[in-house]
Amino acid sequence: MTRNTMIDGWYPVSLASQLDAHGRRTALMGEPIAVRRGEDGNAKVTGGNGRDLPTCIRYGHVWSSLGDPQKPLFAIPEADQPGRRLVDVGVVRVRCSPLRAVENFLDIAHFPFVHTDILGAEPHTEVQNYKVEIREDEDEVWATQVKFYQPQAAKSAEGGITTEYMYRVPAPTCSILYKTCPPRPGEWDVITLFVQPLAEDLCDVWPWMALFDDETPMTDLIHFQQTIFVQDRSILENQIPGLLPLDPGMEIPTRADLTSVAYRRWLKRHGYTYGAQLVAQ
Amino acid sequence: MTILGEFEAASFLPWIERHAAKLGLVQAICVAGPDRIELDIAGPAELIDMMEMGCSLGPIDVWVEAIHRAPIECESG
Amino acid sequence: MPAQSPAGPVALWRSRSGRAAAFADRCPHRGMRLSHGFVRGETLACIYHGWSYAKAGNCLRIPAHPALAPPDTIRVATLRVEDGGGIIWISVGEPAAGPPRFEGLAPLRSMVLEAGIVALEAAAGTKAAEGLLDYTHDDRAVWLLLAPEGQARTLMHVLVDEDSNPDERIAASRAAEALRGAAEDIARGGIAR
Repeated sequence: MTRNTMIDGWYPVSLASQLDAHGRRTALMGEPIAVRRGEDGNAKVTGGNGRDLPTCIRYGHVWSSLGDPQKPLFAIPEADQPGRRLVDVGVVRVRCSPLRAVENFLDIAHFPFVHTDILGAEPHTEVQNYKVEIREDEDEVWATQVKFYQPQAAKSAEGGITTEYMYRVPAPTCSILYKTCPPRPGEWDVITLFVQPLAEDLCDVWPWMALFDDETPMTDLIHFQQTIFVQDRSILENQIPGLLPLDPGMEIPTRADLTSVAYRRWLKRHGYTYGAQLVAQ
Repeated sequence: MTILGEFEAASFLPWIERHAAKLGLVQAICVAGPDRIELDIAGPAELIDMMEMGCSLGPIDVWVEAIHRAPIECESG
Repeated sequence: MPAQSPAGPVALWRSRSGRAAAFADRCPHRGMRLSHGFVRGETLACIYHGWSYAKAGNCLRIPAHPALAPPDTIRVATLRVEDGGGIIWISVGEPAAGPPRFEGLAPLRSMVLEAGIVALEAAAGTKAAEGLLDYTHDDRAVWLLLAPEGQARTLMHVLVDEDSNPDERIAASRAAEALRGAAEDIARGGIAR
């Protein structure tokens, strides 16, 4: 069997705010792990055989790895920008491949049908051309100039607007969305999707946000994002096959799926195949 | 359409033909090498986009580096 | 609605004009189950990206690319459907004859059993003939039309005499539920042994 090249990556395993001495039992790529606050106050993550795993706390979450991370966790410079509200959305468990959860997050064409009257509405279904690139220096997938008509783009949005998006994939199970920020033109709201791979067909999804929004109550912000994600879950648990196909022989990707195709190409090039189906059948 | 990359043309060509057939596109493969495939396709732009999307990912034993498209200049095929 | 067939999961739907159709339960775009989709007029649309399909299985519209008229080759696999006598039949392949007719019987309800046909026959004390089990309970005849879904699950359609009154229909329904319970007990016992 070939080595799992995703083993050396960082993955979210808990909300930092929920870290306690008692701890949380969870899993990473099939291995049971325990996450707790150590005597020194730092996060402590132990693997199935009791060995200590690498840890860090960043972007509201505790991160860990089963392997030996060669790089620090990716940077989100906006997270440190003054004036942003940092929102821990919590966790949604989804019975799907962790890679499928990311791919769905990168998709806008489903907005009118899955998030009807919130992130999209008929007849505004057309997906305008946008740009996708692999940024070689950072080794990240980027989609830019993504524009879509939205009836209620965010909790702070009133009425329909055309929203502009940028998507970024810095790690195989993480994506960051930059989105037009209604109260602060020129800035971008940041919405992330951090996915914890429990198994190839099971994941915990930890959305997190860094927003310019001083008005909306925190519970409403959390509720809005959870509503969106529960709608996505009904899709993710009903796609066939359960794993993400890296061969589109049984599919028909279109120009609107360009980000999905670029993401899958990037996974394929790096051999990031935990949760992927290699041969279409 | 010119497809550049690393591929066993033997496995990729039937894949290309099958994908084109699924899209209802008539295609003619003019050049088929281990790092370059050239094919002529005619049809609506959205469908040729779909062909490009599919081929840029392709089967697992193939790596497609780039796809270039150019209008066909009245050549045979 | 989702259904099962020997050829795999099926999306069974009825158009606005009343015609039934059966599709392979997978959108050819990105694999979403079409049984989660929505019927609009004479089409079934996928809930994920709204690709819509005619009863013959051909794709009619891709909403992300509204200017494109999808070619006939973009299609979902279909199964033949026969809709008669209150029962919808699907066939894998092209059978020579139409489905059987049950003269004098009326369909009452359908239920899924977590049991195979062998356990069901044992519970009923009688054998099914050509998928129809003639079950007499408290001197009342109930007909059970059986569609196996693998070894351990059966879809059972309950039929009664078409002249049955409401009380008789309720009694038949209860009898079928009791039989389901008995068959599932036998199936569980079989697994335990």
